[in-house]
Amino acid sequence: MDTAILIDIVKSGLVLGALYALMATGLSLVWTTLGIFNFAHGAFIALGAYLAWQFSSADAWGLPMVPAILLSCAVMFAIGALLHFLLVKPFERRQDIVLISVITTLAGAVILENGLQLIWGARSKQIPPLAEGAVEFGALSLRNSELILMGLVLAILLCVGLFLRYSRPGRSMRAVAQNQDAAALLGLNVPLYFSMVFGIAALTAGLAGVFVGTIRFMSPSMGSEPLMKALIVVIFGGVARFSSPIYAALIIGQIEAFSVYFVGLYWAPAVLFFTMIVVLLIKPEGLFGKYQRTL
Amino acid sequence: MSDLILDVRGLSGGYDTTQIFSDISLQIAEGESIGIFGPNGHGKTTFLKTLSGLIDPWSGDIFFCGQRMNREGERGSRKMRNFNYGAVTRRRIDPKAVARAGLIHVQQGNLLFPELTVDETLSIASTAARGRKGWTLAEVRELFPRLGERGSHKIRFLSGGERQMVSMAAGLMAAPKLLILDEPTLGLSPKVRQELCDAILSVRRLGLPVVLIDQDVAFLEQIIDTLYLFDHGRFSGRMGKEEMPDHQTLMDMLFGEAH
Repeated sequence: MDTAILIDIVKSGLVLGALYALMATGLSLVWTTLGIFNFAHGAFIALGAYLAWQFSSADAWGLPMVPAILLSCAVMFAIGALLHFLLVKPFERRQDIVLISVITTLAGAVILENGLQLIWGARSKQIPPLAEGAVEFGALSLRNSELILMGLVLAILLCVGLFLRYSRPGRSMRAVAQNQDAAALLGLNVPLYFSMVFGIAALTAGLAGVFVGTIRFMSPSMGSEPLMKALIVVIFGGVARFSSPIYAALIIGQIEAFSVYFVGLYWAPAVLFFTMIVVLLIKPEGLFGKYQRTL
Repeated sequence: MSDLILDVRGLSGGYDTTQIFSDISLQIAEGESIGIFGPNGHGKTTFLKTLSGLIDPWSGDIFFCGQRMNREGERGSRKMRNFNYGAVTRRRIDPKAVARAGLIHVQQGNLLFPELTVDETLSIASTAARGRKGWTLAEVRELFPRLGERGSHKIRFLSGGERQMVSMAAGLMAAPKLLILDEPTLGLSPKVRQELCDAILSVRRLGLPVVLIDQDVAFLEQIIDTLYLFDHGRFSGRMGKEEMPDHQTLMDMLFGEAH
């Protein structure tokens, strides 16, 4: 096989993997902390992209790219925390919280997606690429925008990881994730930390949306396919540590890139699901998982 | 009334449909330490969980330092609870508010945060104290020298006794005015047990009142001023330190001569 093609496949797998890692991190963060699955995560992706478009596009507010992205991050954090307050917190103490939160977060996803359609219309939009041009390393050609994307994803994930590990609120979030009762007995504000986790998840999802928006055309339902992939990543990788969905995302990205080339675009999702099922048969808690739910 | 640190009036409670204890009243004066002695499975722990706000009380009131801890009234009827439990009704007591008022509950067999290290756990406790004056890390390490050595170990790798020490240390750092210790020496080896007992004794000597549940009367005697007997979800007896009988007599009082 041609080396150039191989390198191309690996490269596109890396870009996909980076995006999936960013999406899956928020999903697994919510799962490990609150013990619920957030179906509105895909809508967060779309919302982040539309907000960034609104702030940065010459047709709308026309802010420079960096402040536009930062502003959309702040808004996404607030929206995430608000949605936790509206959709999840009222049902917190119910026995059937897992089932109820499936419905309420799905409702949130529907409302957000249709809201996007109402506000911004169905016409496709695109955020300008992060950078122009490309770098050449012999046979390998990398677009600057892809390099920046991967670098940014790495930096964001590193920031979130360090925040959870070393900052005071991050530590308290992990404590709340591991033992709600003990955290409350020490006087920690458990619902506040839950809202913060939701906010961070929404923020990272929104950033993923911005990056997707620079590569593809945006539509209000642009988040549903990435949500499916992020779900595969989380289940495939397990959630034992903050980093396990990230490794899983990189593997899934490569598997997808290779199967798109060798099996075809339409069969690639089937290959992913098949891989996931095989992994679950061998290691039910996920590739890097442990049985307990911790952060 | 202002010299009462904890004033519990007619408290009833339990889990969703099962009542565990009923109509408990308990007054603790400023600076007084009490012990609770009673058989397993009669609701001591549930009562303490209700005090610290982990479980909603069914009826009755809890005052701590003159402040009401629970919302007034009784819990709603069963039908109403099923209809809107959690969605419309608020919690009747907030564990965070209780802890911040200074009533700190060190749970029985506490696992705390299994994936956090000892140092991280203690730093969380001091964060939670939010400027109220709790014990410092140095003071806690002086009380439990082992915790200094184990600082970077995750809690799930600690022994039962060390976990109990971390729980107590975290409780002390969260600025308690009254410390609830729920069977702190349960299931420990005699040596570790002695270490913990000494620590509790020195905490007590430093002037912090405690509510202590334990099965060892001789140990309780060293710590507390008043002993309550707990039996079938209510207090069945109350005695001052000087009238406290030995273990055998207590067992007879609780179960009859032929237990």
